[in-house]
Amino acid sequence: MQKQNRWGYILTLPFTIHFIVFFAFPFIFSFYLTFTKWDMFNAPDWIGMGNWTKLLTDKPFWYAIRNAALFAAVFVPLQTIFALILAFFLNQAIRAKSFYRVIYFLPVVTPWLAGGTMWRWMMNKTYGLANYMLSLFDIPPVDWLDSKYWWLPITSVALVNVWKGVGSSMIILLAGIQSVSKELYEAAALDGATRWTLFWKIVFPIVSPMIFLVLILSTISSFQAFDVFLVMFSSPDIVSDQKLTPNILIYKDAFLTSKMGYASAMSWALFVLIISVTLVQKWFEKRWVHYE
Amino acid sequence: MSKRFSLKNGIIHILLILGGIVMLMPFYWMVATSLKSGGNVTKVPPQWIPNPIDWSYYSTVWIKVDFARYTFNSFFIVTLDVIGTLLSCAMVAFGLAMFNFKLKKTIYLAMLSTLMLPAQVTMIPGYFIWKSLGGLDTYMPLIVPSFLAGAFGIFLLHQFYKSVPRELFEAATIDGCGPWRVLWRIYFPLSRSALSALGVFTFMGAWSNTMGPLLYLHDKKMFTLPLGLLFLSNDTGVQPQLLMAGAVIVTIPVIIIFIIAQKQFVEGIASTGLKG
Repeated sequence: MQKQNRWGYILTLPFTIHFIVFFAFPFIFSFYLTFTKWDMFNAPDWIGMGNWTKLLTDKPFWYAIRNAALFAAVFVPLQTIFALILAFFLNQAIRAKSFYRVIYFLPVVTPWLAGGTMWRWMMNKTYGLANYMLSLFDIPPVDWLDSKYWWLPITSVALVNVWKGVGSSMIILLAGIQSVSKELYEAAALDGATRWTLFWKIVFPIVSPMIFLVLILSTISSFQAFDVFLVMFSSPDIVSDQKLTPNILIYKDAFLTSKMGYASAMSWALFVLIISVTLVQKWFEKRWVHYE
Repeated sequence: MSKRFSLKNGIIHILLILGGIVMLMPFYWMVATSLKSGGNVTKVPPQWIPNPIDWSYYSTVWIKVDFARYTFNSFFIVTLDVIGTLLSCAMVAFGLAMFNFKLKKTIYLAMLSTLMLPAQVTMIPGYFIWKSLGGLDTYMPLIVPSFLAGAFGIFLLHQFYKSVPRELFEAATIDGCGPWRVLWRIYFPLSRSALSALGVFTFMGAWSNTMGPLLYLHDKKMFTLPLGLLFLSNDTGVQPQLLMAGAVIVTIPVIIIFIIAQKQFVEGIASTGLKG
């Protein structure tokens, strides 16, 4: 038994070091930093609740939260609905299933830097393919990424994010739909159920835990989005306040203007926000998700 | 009856293909743009097929913008990340699956908590740690953590090691084989399929990583591909062809890996709920 103990600790040592050095210590230190002013060269200055009260009235911070909320409101439902439709289609006994799966999955594995670069060019106001397609229907050019209306660039990026992420949600939902047994389908079909009722009465309840998982994952990811805004908008040091998002703002304040304390406070505010959103979703989960 | 069904399947195919075109269009447009010569890139209506085909932007981005070096750097970091992740995760997963010890529950809890903690909370102290250790402008911050095992990989391999009958471990021990040798001689080779899935995930993640290199690398010679592409795209005077040629270089390796390892990748996502 003594020996058992020893080997357990030895073999798990790498993770223990990892956890203490890169999670536990940073977690505590970062919380302490939220009460300080710090440029990382001198010792941190304790300023009490200063950062937190500043947060309440700081325009850029609220722009960033507003943008993340709109981003999630556009991206999460669209991605989930498209993924559900795709998964339902792919589950029909059609040929070339794996062919479609590869195509829809390709953007998921493409690095954001490359995917974003493609879309930035496609959404170019003057030479972009998107506006050319619109012009075929006599629709005037849209300023996708540099519009003076703040909601338009955010919505554009949310749509690109659907392109990037729909494949992975589709795979999770497809795994759920495939777990519905053939017998259940056949029994229902024998009873004369249409595809519509089949979907709502049988598939949907069984898949609902997966839908919920997809909803939570994509909501969290929209509040944490970083790479996509880094590549689709101009670089963080010159991007307009109206187009800020939480992680871009945190990066900018911490590493471009050395406001480590304030940036830490924002990162904690975002952390708390993400947890609250997840808890609210959990509460809704109880009302419509069906667990066996 | 059967006719109606095939008609329905036909409609499904048409919809899937239309959606597929939307998914693939950016890739086509990236390649097409990268091959257009000079002013053809800004023609309205656009040139659907580049004519003449101009390969010169690839050599410019590869040699003059130094994507050759960035490609080497990226492969260097990613290879070490994969090796480190596989070795360290196997070790920790084996330790958790085979031995009983007091703090085992605590370690599980710690693993779960690392999955839930958003990266931006630990980002600033993490940077400070590497700064104090003299790790800025080195590859240490990008490589060392992968040698210290991450929760995702541990979970993945732990599931596998748990499923192996315990008798195997006991039999090897009775034969006088110590745990260290049991791990590397028997269990590690046995988990080949789980390891390759983890390897593919690690490759994809490390290849796309932008935040890490952005924080820690300032010397252009050290840049990785995504960081090189980011700097190129922030330069407003750069030609679209050059940018697209760069994006093609960043994309090709992941597409090759994905097509080879497609099955493991898709199954891994379906079973863990991990988002790419």
